[in-house]
Amino acid sequence: MSEAQLETALTGREAPGDLAIEIRELTTRGMIDLRGDAGDGKFMAAAKDVLGLDLPTAPRTSAAWGEVQALWLSPDQWLILCPRARTEELLAALRQALAQIHSFAVDVSDMRTIIRLEGHAARSVLLKGCSLDLLSPDYAAGTVRRLRFAEIAALLHIVSERPDVLDLYVFRSYADYAWEWFLANGRAVAAIQPFGQQAVPAV
Amino acid sequence: MSGKPYRLAQGGRLIDRSKKVSFTFDGQSMTGFAGDTVASAVLANGQRVFGRSFKYHRPRGVVGLGSEEMNALVGIGEGPRHEPNLRAPQVELHDGLIAQSQNRWPSLNFDIGALNSKLSRFIPGGFYYKTFMWPQAFWKHVYEPMIRRAAGLGKAPAGSDPDTYEHMHAHCDVLVIGAGIAGLAAAEAAQAAGARVIICDETPRFGGVADLSAGTIDGAPQLDWVHTRAKLLAEAGNVHVMTRTTAVGHWHHNHLMLFERVSDHDPEGLARGTPRHRLWKVRAKHVILATGALERPIAFANNDRPGIMLATAARGLVERHGVAPGMKGVVFTNNDDAYLTALSLKRAGVAVAGIIDVRQGTDSAAARDARNAGIEIIPGHAIAGVESGYGGLSLSGVKIAPWRKGQGRVVNESRLACDFIAMSGGFNPVVNLWCHNGGKLTFDSGLQSYRPGKHHDRIQAVGAANGTMDLAAALAEGYAAGEAAVKDGEPKAGRSKAESAPQRPLEPIWFSPATGKYNEGNKHFIDFQNDVTAADLELAQREGYESVEHTKRYTTFGMATDQGKTSNLNGLGVLAEATGKTIPEIGITTFRPPYTPFSFGSIAGSLTKNLFLPVRRTPIFRWHKAQNAVFEPVGQWRRAYTYPRAGEDKHQSINREILAVRNKVGLLDASTLGKIEIKGPDAAEFLDRVYTNMFSTLKVGRCRYGLMMNELGFLIDDGVTVRLGDDHFLMHTTSGGADRIAAWLEEWLQTEWTQYKVFVTPVTEQWAQFAIAGPKAREVLSKLGPDFDISAEGFAHMAMKQGKLGSHPVRIYRISFSGELSYEVATPANLGRGLWDAILSAGAEFGIEAYGTEALHVLRAEKGYIVIGDETDGTVTPGDVGLDGLVSKKKADFIGKRSLEQSFLRSAGRKQLVGLLTEDPKDVLPDGAYAVRAVKDKPPMEMIGQVTSTYYSPTLDHSIAMALIENGRSRMGETLSFPLDDKVVKAKITDPVFYDKEGSRQNV
Amino acid sequence: MLIVHCPVCGAEGDETDFHYGGEAHIRRPATQDPTTVSDAAQRDYLFMRRNPKGLHFERWRCDRGCGKWFHAVRDTVTMDFKATYGITELPPRELMEAASGEWAAFFKDKLDAAKPSRKGKSS
Repeated sequence: MSEAQLETALTGREAPGDLAIEIRELTTRGMIDLRGDAGDGKFMAAAKDVLGLDLPTAPRTSAAWGEVQALWLSPDQWLILCPRARTEELLAALRQALAQIHSFAVDVSDMRTIIRLEGHAARSVLLKGCSLDLLSPDYAAGTVRRLRFAEIAALLHIVSERPDVLDLYVFRSYADYAWEWFLANGRAVAAIQPFGQQAVPAV
Repeated sequence: MSGKPYRLAQGGRLIDRSKKVSFTFDGQSMTGFAGDTVASAVLANGQRVFGRSFKYHRPRGVVGLGSEEMNALVGIGEGPRHEPNLRAPQVELHDGLIAQSQNRWPSLNFDIGALNSKLSRFIPGGFYYKTFMWPQAFWKHVYEPMIRRAAGLGKAPAGSDPDTYEHMHAHCDVLVIGAGIAGLAAAEAAQAAGARVIICDETPRFGGVADLSAGTIDGAPQLDWVHTRAKLLAEAGNVHVMTRTTAVGHWHHNHLMLFERVSDHDPEGLARGTPRHRLWKVRAKHVILATGALERPIAFANNDRPGIMLATAARGLVERHGVAPGMKGVVFTNNDDAYLTALSLKRAGVAVAGIIDVRQGTDSAAARDARNAGIEIIPGHAIAGVESGYGGLSLSGVKIAPWRKGQGRVVNESRLACDFIAMSGGFNPVVNLWCHNGGKLTFDSGLQSYRPGKHHDRIQAVGAANGTMDLAAALAEGYAAGEAAVKDGEPKAGRSKAESAPQRPLEPIWFSPATGKYNEGNKHFIDFQNDVTAADLELAQREGYESVEHTKRYTTFGMATDQGKTSNLNGLGVLAEATGKTIPEIGITTFRPPYTPFSFGSIAGSLTKNLFLPVRRTPIFRWHKAQNAVFEPVGQWRRAYTYPRAGEDKHQSINREILAVRNKVGLLDASTLGKIEIKGPDAAEFLDRVYTNMFSTLKVGRCRYGLMMNELGFLIDDGVTVRLGDDHFLMHTTSGGADRIAAWLEEWLQTEWTQYKVFVTPVTEQWAQFAIAGPKAREVLSKLGPDFDISAEGFAHMAMKQGKLGSHPVRIYRISFSGELSYEVATPANLGRGLWDAILSAGAEFGIEAYGTEALHVLRAEKGYIVIGDETDGTVTPGDVGLDGLVSKKKADFIGKRSLEQSFLRSAGRKQLVGLLTEDPKDVLPDGAYAVRAVKDKPPMEMIGQVTSTYYSPTLDHSIAMALIENGRSRMGETLSFPLDDKVVKAKITDPVFYDKEGSRQNV
Repeated sequence: MLIVHCPVCGAEGDETDFHYGGEAHIRRPATQDPTTVSDAAQRDYLFMRRNPKGLHFERWRCDRGCGKWFHAVRDTVTMDFKATYGITELPPRELMEAASGEWAAFFKDKLDAAKPSRKGKSS
């Protein structure tokens, strides 16, 4: 039999040209959900051996080593990002290194859809559907935050700033809903510039 | 009325006389200027009547300056873009605007409903309650339709709204509501100290009433100061400025909603697709209310006639729009502010017949200015009535009489000719937002009104909103509040200074007596919008509605769309005089959001149509769609219900799918099943706690069906759990229960059994999962190229395998919900579609057919398997559904165990799950049908149970059902009666397993 | 809408980002000893809840954040959160002392046991 065919949730969907931001699906990323006790030195060391990075322990932060990244989800939970092709190898290595330590690593590469938002309007568009204070300095590059976005659960990773590159992780089954939400709320004619230089109001 | 030059030759700082604007009012073409409002433009065209009143259908015109307008409600736009009940002084004019008056039939000037006015002595306050009591049946069929036709405001738009709406969230350190003098000062101070500031104003402009008020700032006109502040704030990086934005409500922890009218004034923008309205949800560390004050009308006889307006409104028309309210007016006041209106009118060349001031004496700066301008002042007088003609459409004069507080009626009166009245009964601080979240008020005897008192939120009122009417004091208060709102902030803004002449105190007038009695052609309106008069309030008192909250509901005073903005205090004043109490003793009714009505569109935002509800799609959704599947909602999922082919109806396709599974092989998309991985040294013990049955004894590689109860002993979920390793399980939950059960497990681990070392990770969406079910299932599997043994012995019932099917990595469970030989295959979601297609190709030669959820349900019902939510309703125990065998007797404790021992769950007479076979095999009972102990001619009949699942079984060619019946298991063979609307269906109680009782088909 | 603060991860947000979990410091009798739970004890555990005007001890989950449960003390009059603290922890001493009803009885033992000094974590 031939190679298994990959069909991601947003396969075939392209963003229209009338948006204030660029949006696309990231399809080549592998994801591992890693659980363990951050206070357990053995666990942290074993994870570092495999991943090459210290798992971030400060809430809502992330760490990167080469093509591997770790996003903080909880005091005992991280989302490990890697190229899709490396997922199996990395997972096997983690499981082996952590075999004697209370922990859990599981492949969740297909569980979430990643929508990448780019452009100076990325945050103001997102603010139409989320109540976080995204314009505050708390949301600098590297920040990771679970949130309620529109009517669904999501995970936001601020990849870089100026111009903004934001990755929004939604559960796969909601990918179409999220995509449609951006088509409705990301329209250039509806763009908002919160704060900053503005038109002088009439008097 | 028309033909007169209401548009003044000069003046009107907001209009641009070089830009003519065409619009229609009730189909009549009119012109105005850019900068006009619908109110100013229609008045400039000589049209004074804007609509008819709610109850009496009296003609009504413009009264207010802005959003406080209670009379001149108009419908704007046509068809699906029509919006009713907009306040004419707030609606900005644009070319092509279509305005319609409301609540009149057949025309504004002749209205049949005005007959109500003649009959008004028969429709006093509370008349709905009094008149339409009897006979009862008349209410629904006669009275209510009649009232609904006669009363009411605008009409709802026709068709679906073509415009877009959206939400926006914002956080700020300081939210300033109102961009008048005090608000601007507060914003300036806060922004200078580095705070993030949002400042919004309901009008299209900053400045509040700076253009209509006396006094200077830094020695220059107030507007100059406003100009520089507006520019400074707009250009500061830390300020967001908003016009046409109403703060509609204030909730806990300084959560506010701001309603922004983005493009109502800009039809071109709307055509380009800009959102029409935007609802901002703002979280502010501090809120500064600079919402100003609203002028009070005065209750004199027939004070609702078109041409009678607030003094500020008359001033606004002249100063802002160059429109004269009439040819000759009188000013009726109890305070100095209205003198400015007289001066404005005089300056603009409009005749002023006099200033009627209820106060004695004329010793004030305001009076001096008026006298110098040649305006007559009539002190110590009040208006006793108005002279009007043409059914109240026009005004020809006022009757005035010496004012003596507390007198019942006047005798000696004189007359002044005039065609409009500018009235001012003082000012009420706008405290609505202060009160939305529990702010307390305090009565200010100087203002004769309430102003903000205590509040537990970080919120402060400044300027007129705080009762500070003096310009210099309001300015200083604004600066101080802005500075104080910024933590550790140093005052950085240089403070401007204002000057204005001192004012004479006002004298309250809540009721101006007339020559006749109440209802002798005299109506003293308090709540114009709901047609509540002073007499109604007094009557309510006499009838015993002593509490102001009761009076409010009985008379509907303050309950119209204006939420009592202009009527509240006047009503309290009348009640106070009627009862001999003080206003604070009367109390005050509650202000509730919204401050002014806002659109449903903005509330929905973009979450309409395809975004109305999040819909979850499985990895196979596109295939289902391409097959024209009928979908059914399961939680937020859309699952394929059945796949009708050309020429088939749903019943036919469901039956075909069922028979395919029984006779050949079927394929089901079961991806929605909840999947939770549970791992850790205590995982097995933990599962023993959450399931009723034992899981620590499950062998690795084996599956077991489990039941879950809540602490009350009632079933909440079920499913097959697989042991993947010694310390590692995969739990399946119901499709709807996936998130709930994952959270449930976390809750118990985190809050009760904290000693357990267990990790719970939901993985539902990682997997696409399909059931291959039917006698040919193994052959299909074999064609797919498994790299593991699939023989009957090598892969037994209730076993699981991991491996590959061709190129697809899979977990595969030999479990069955249909009673047939069945495999559930799981592969990573993004590979799901590929595997689905591969299974269909491999199964083609065996006649494989996709089957939907309805076939699934019939198949399981034929086998007597329960579905959580069908056979259970939150009050059903394992014993009730005959699954006592799955409740462990060995385990010391598990969730719900202790509750099962409570006497009421063990007593006789509980409803038990049974099967039902109808006497007529074609008769399918309706879902939820009740069984009765004895059939009677008509209800009530004693019910002894209900149908929980009911289907036509093509396998048995017989209708089948499951039901929860009182003592059902001891009534096998009994025939029960199910009375329906048109017949009584009889059915025999049987075992709930209808097909293959031995279970031999799944064990092949 | 309330603003809730999670003492575990420090996240702060709208109450809709959190999950309210009802009254706090309720003991599950069957966990202590499943063989001796009286009907009355089981009834109280399942159904009896307080509705005080003033301090309310309650449970929340950081639903859209770290996923952890925690405790909070809220004033039901002003809606102010007086403290949040870990799900296995006790409230700050001054709030235990200010508690009413059965909470007061529950905390009294803890306060006595903790004498002379016990520090509660406040946030």
